[in-house]
Amino acid sequence: MTQSSRSRLTRRSVLKGGLGLALATTALTAIGLPVPASAAGKKVIIGAFADGGLTPFKQKIIPLAKDAGFDIEFLEDEYGVTLEKWFADAKNSAGQYDLYLLDDPWVPQFGAANVLENLGAAGIDGGDKDWIGSMIDMGYWPPQKGPRVKGFETAAPTLICVPFVGDLQTLTYRNDVYTSGAPKTWDEVIAKGKEGVAAGKIKYPVVFRGVSGNPIVTSWYPVFLSFGGSFFDDKWNPVFNSAEGKASAEFFVGTMKQNAPSGVVEFDSDQEGAAILGGEAGAIIQYSGNALKADDPTQTKVAGKLDFGIVPKQTAAIAQMGIFIAGIPKSAPNKANSVEFLKWYVSADIQAKLSEAGSIPVKRSAFGIAKPGNRLIPVALQQLDAGALPRPRTPDWAKVEELLGIELNKALQAGSGGGAALDNAAKQVKDYLSSVGYY
Amino acid sequence: MRSRKYRLQGAGLDLALPYLMLAPGLLIVLGVLVYPLWDGLRASTKAYRYGSVVADVGMQNYIKLWSDPQFLNALWVTIEFVALSVTFEAILGFALALFCLREFRGIRLLRTILIIPMVITPVVVAIVFRLIYASDAGMLTAISEWTGGGQVQILGSPVKAFFGLVVLDVWEWTPLMFLILLAGLQSLPHEPFEAARVDGAGNWRVFADLTFPMMRPVLAIAIVLRTIDAFGTFDQVFVLTRGGPGEATRLVSIYGYDTAFKFQQTGYAAALFVTIGLVVLALAFSAVRLLRRVDAS
Repeated sequence: MTQSSRSRLTRRSVLKGGLGLALATTALTAIGLPVPASAAGKKVIIGAFADGGLTPFKQKIIPLAKDAGFDIEFLEDEYGVTLEKWFADAKNSAGQYDLYLLDDPWVPQFGAANVLENLGAAGIDGGDKDWIGSMIDMGYWPPQKGPRVKGFETAAPTLICVPFVGDLQTLTYRNDVYTSGAPKTWDEVIAKGKEGVAAGKIKYPVVFRGVSGNPIVTSWYPVFLSFGGSFFDDKWNPVFNSAEGKASAEFFVGTMKQNAPSGVVEFDSDQEGAAILGGEAGAIIQYSGNALKADDPTQTKVAGKLDFGIVPKQTAAIAQMGIFIAGIPKSAPNKANSVEFLKWYVSADIQAKLSEAGSIPVKRSAFGIAKPGNRLIPVALQQLDAGALPRPRTPDWAKVEELLGIELNKALQAGSGGGAALDNAAKQVKDYLSSVGYY
Repeated sequence: MRSRKYRLQGAGLDLALPYLMLAPGLLIVLGVLVYPLWDGLRASTKAYRYGSVVADVGMQNYIKLWSDPQFLNALWVTIEFVALSVTFEAILGFALALFCLREFRGIRLLRTILIIPMVITPVVVAIVFRLIYASDAGMLTAISEWTGGGQVQILGSPVKAFFGLVVLDVWEWTPLMFLILLAGLQSLPHEPFEAARVDGAGNWRVFADLTFPMMRPVLAIAIVLRTIDAFGTFDQVFVLTRGGPGEATRLVSIYGYDTAFKFQQTGYAAALFVTIGLVVLALAFSAVRLLRRVDAS
């Protein structure tokens, strides 16, 4: 009797105990869950990749946004993981972000997947004449100009993103090496840079990014454009391995490598930034992230010795555009707040504040303010007027860039064979685009 | 009557209780193991564009893999990486285990120190090695310049970057081998060794005729475990080289990740990972068969 009741008691104890434990855990979890803070304003969760180009926005504009009644949560990630992270968020309707600050070549991928809100329908005027035309064009999918990928030939262009920070490549150079102003040609960059090395002012005439994929392609692209290269024809056939393209690649992996730090093959933006800000390199083509540090003695050893100019030319002085561009995912938890924030942010007043804070604005009127916060801003406008092109508007740019980047990186290791690298890459790109139905 | 009812309830509970107790675990296994596997297999037979399924392609993704030079290159790099890393780890781990088998002052501290690399997060290890290898500001370059040499180029050279990655892996995972083999050595019976010593056998004879043959099953298990694990190496490469320079360190895990998430070819990436899973399974089965053959002989 005693043993039997003890046995039943044990089974019940197990069940009761299990149930009790489950309830207790649930209760504790519920108690332990962070309680949302009382609304401090209209919540907007912004996703961004870490980049110096956003520093003025973070330091000066976010406080203004808070004053205007927005509660901004700014979530930063490393560049290399944001595309996949945000695409998964948007595609799976995870609703973790209200606003993505995309790199502009990603717009087609998000556009083709139809995961971003129609901002035109939400009341943002893409036709406003104050926009920098080439920048607002990047916010449309399918693109308003140029070739379109299959499936989108007849679709009406929709504004799915708006320019956020108008970044583009410009030249940063040492004014004690290039004493007569910004070098106009690549030959001048190298020749005067060598004189600077001989005079002991610098260690290398140039520095750039050599890592496979996006970094090396981004560094080569303005050289390619300045040599007169085109990337695709209007049927998406790769034509970057033209005579002009090959000449640019040979110059890049040959002459430029010989005049750059020996480890340039493994250089990314942190190393190239260290080389120019540390006083070792004579010239660099770069986006605004490191350029904005040029006058800050806490961030550079050569404050006062760095000036800006438009990119050197071989046949034309054309830079690559790479703007931060904002899109609202369809799954955004605070969609209305995000639209309201964007309208506020792209207003002429706030763009002027952005320019005062030192960031490149996206509205033309903001370039004309009395005191732009950075010497780079008027140069950026000069570059826009001289020539600045976005990367091809294809959802498969990431793969194209990967294929080309690997071949360019191999040629850079060898210090020659840039033309052959472009031939190999063109074949691989053509094969890939064929396999996904481009032709 | 009342007492009988209780007994019936008790018997029913006896029958149901094991299943009730197993049910949560079973559901978890189905949810987190079986379903993703099944879904991965299903995805591997589809074509995706822009993150959505556009066609059912049967086995085409699997066939396409074997004519994809990037996949074949990544597979070869992975095989080389696994073979080299695991071989060095096994040799070093065995040597360290034999050394640490002896009892002397400070041996416990030494054993603890030796397993530290294994418990550091792989991403942190990769960042540290990046700071060692970087040609502009890395520790090796600093030492080289201090001793009158030039910059040390590791990550910019395909061969050196590959070996740099192997060194990282060996540093991090030799402790695992060491730990498994030390446990194996400590569990060996003492009598054969004492008998061999009485018969006048030297250290090498004892190792060749007793230690190594007796340790072969443990060694085989350790090698199989590390091989399976090394095939999935991702974090260190992602941080240290991202597969470069060129494709010199692009393992299948990196290629698969890029294919799935960066290039949005979900079906193709699923086929790739299923294939790699099968390759690893085949390796594991071969190792187990080898082990049985060794035991039988």
